[in-house]
Amino acid sequence: MSEIMKYDVVVVGAGIAGPIVARNVAKEGYSVLLIDKKSAIGAPKQCAEGINISVFEKHDIPYDKRFINREIYGARLYSPSGYTLEMRYNKVSGVILERKVFDKMLAFYAARAGADVLPRTEATDVIREEGKIIGIKAKKEGEPIEIRADILVAADGVESTIARKAGINTYAPPHEFDSAYEYEMLIEGFDPDLIHLWFGNNVAPRGYVWVFPKDEDRANVGIGINSDNPMTAKHYLDKWLKENNIPFKKILEVNVGIIPVGGFLKELVKDNVLVVGDAARQVNPMHGGGMAEAMEAGTIASKWIVEALKEENFGLLKNYTTEWWEKDGKRLERVLRVRKVVEHLTDEDLDVFIQTLSGIDAEKIAGGRYSEVIKALLKHPKVLMSPRRIALLKELL
Amino acid sequence: MTEKIRIIVEEDKCYLCGGCAGVCPSLAIKVSSSKWEFFQDKCISCRICVTACPVGALEAEVVEGKS
Ligand SMILES: Cc1cc2nc3c(=O)[nH]c(=O)nc-3n(C[C@H](O)[C@H](O)[C@H](O)COP(=O)(O)OP(=O)(O)OC[C@H]3O[C@@H](n4cnc5c(N)ncnc54)[C@H](O)[C@@H]3O)c2cc1C
Ligand code: SF4
Ligand code: SF4
Repeated sequence: MSEIMKYDVVVVGAGIAGPIVARNVAKEGYSVLLIDKKSAIGAPKQCAEGINISVFEKHDIPYDKRFINREIYGARLYSPSGYTLEMRYNKVSGVILERKVFDKMLAFYAARAGADVLPRTEATDVIREEGKIIGIKAKKEGEPIEIRADILVAADGVESTIARKAGINTYAPPHEFDSAYEYEMLIEGFDPDLIHLWFGNNVAPRGYVWVFPKDEDRANVGIGINSDNPMTAKHYLDKWLKENNIPFKKILEVNVGIIPVGGFLKELVKDNVLVVGDAARQVNPMHGGGMAEAMEAGTIASKWIVEALKEENFGLLKNYTTEWWEKDGKRLERVLRVRKVVEHLTDEDLDVFIQTLSGIDAEKIAGGRYSEVIKALLKHPKVLMSPRRIALLKELL
Repeated sequence: MTEKIRIIVEEDKCYLCGGCAGVCPSLAIKVSSSKWEFFQDKCISCRICVTACPVGALEAEVVEGKS
């Protein structure tokens, strides 16, 4: 007979979404267990570690230097022929985290709020009784255990095994994922106050190459490409480094992962099971960042978990789906539309657009006044001459 | 008859990132913290995992059908 544990809520996955849910629910006095299959929460990292500065205040996360490598002031974009577009702010716009420390600290905040936390504990299946999910089966340091809980939160990342075992179809076609590969390495010659992004169909099909500085001469240097590409992400990154004569023999880490970038799970709740973060494909489809989205989803999910427990009414959990779609879903659907347009840009389009944009007021771009930006692009002679480019841009308006 | 394949991992190349398990439409791959596992009975021979692996650690071997 395996050991049986009992909680109000069990959260599978201690990445970003999981610990936020665990912390918020435990804070309200309910019993929570947070598990992760990793033996050290946060390691290995599968991330470029870039995040917007606003998330700390928004999600009540301390701005702790132990997990902040570097403050960033903007971004520089590079077109296939080398035109650049720089957006530089006069204050910090984002940071490059140390996720090995960050994820662990998020789990620590959950533990401090009252949650139990168990690493090296892998959920293997759900337990059903009379058609209802009453908990999960797991392996804790190899030993089988049963965790009974009123509510199950699937925060298990892109694998999304637990949601699928609970009967929630999280399937998406291979084109809707990015395959990513990254070196954390010594690199010189790039402004360490900016993140750097290179576009081009031969550089990174559908995606981009990134340099996210963690030090003046150390950065996460990586790539994301469409998952149904016949070549590997590693192939494209090594090719780019060689072609640009960037030495890559001082490598500190190799990081690998797959990112869902093609749209979001419609039904985020089924009975007493909630899906959050990458498991629900809640990622910005344009740049593949999903940490802020995972925090937002975790915050909304935890709010309704607390309500459901307070009112003893699990029907309330469905409000997570509604509220997420109203708040973040709508915004991300728009981003997805842009990605689907951008996906069809040729290298020459990218050159024309980036060259033109570098000429107009960067403040407008930085300030998010996109319709003005697109209107400016529409006036460019190389755009005016091309009905296809006009059509692409009009789709964005 | 359609082709049936078996997926093989090159363990020394694999990072246990879990990506292949995520893109697999039929839960035929399981990635734990220490090992990669394949379940033949669930595999629908679509090869999505082979193409998606960021480092090319997977290979398909034909077990039945045209070869
Ligand atoms: C190469 C790369 C670069 C990226 N760069 C950025 C970036 O710069 N900025 C950004 O915002 N986002 C980035 N992302 C995306 C970001 O990493 C994810 O969106 C984010 O981590 C999602 O958080 P999550 O909590 O949903 O899932 P995860 O962080 O993936 O956490 C899921 C956790 O669940 C655990 N788990 C899985 N299955 C089980 C199980 N059965 N039992 C127990 N535990 C389990 C895993 O071990 C893992 O710890 C990047 C992704 C990749 C691959
Ligand atoms: S996608 Fe590749 S590296 Fe990642 S777990 Fe699967 S086989 Fe291993
Ligand atoms: S071939 Fe298709 S079904 Fe079989 S393991 Fe790979 S992705 Fe899954």
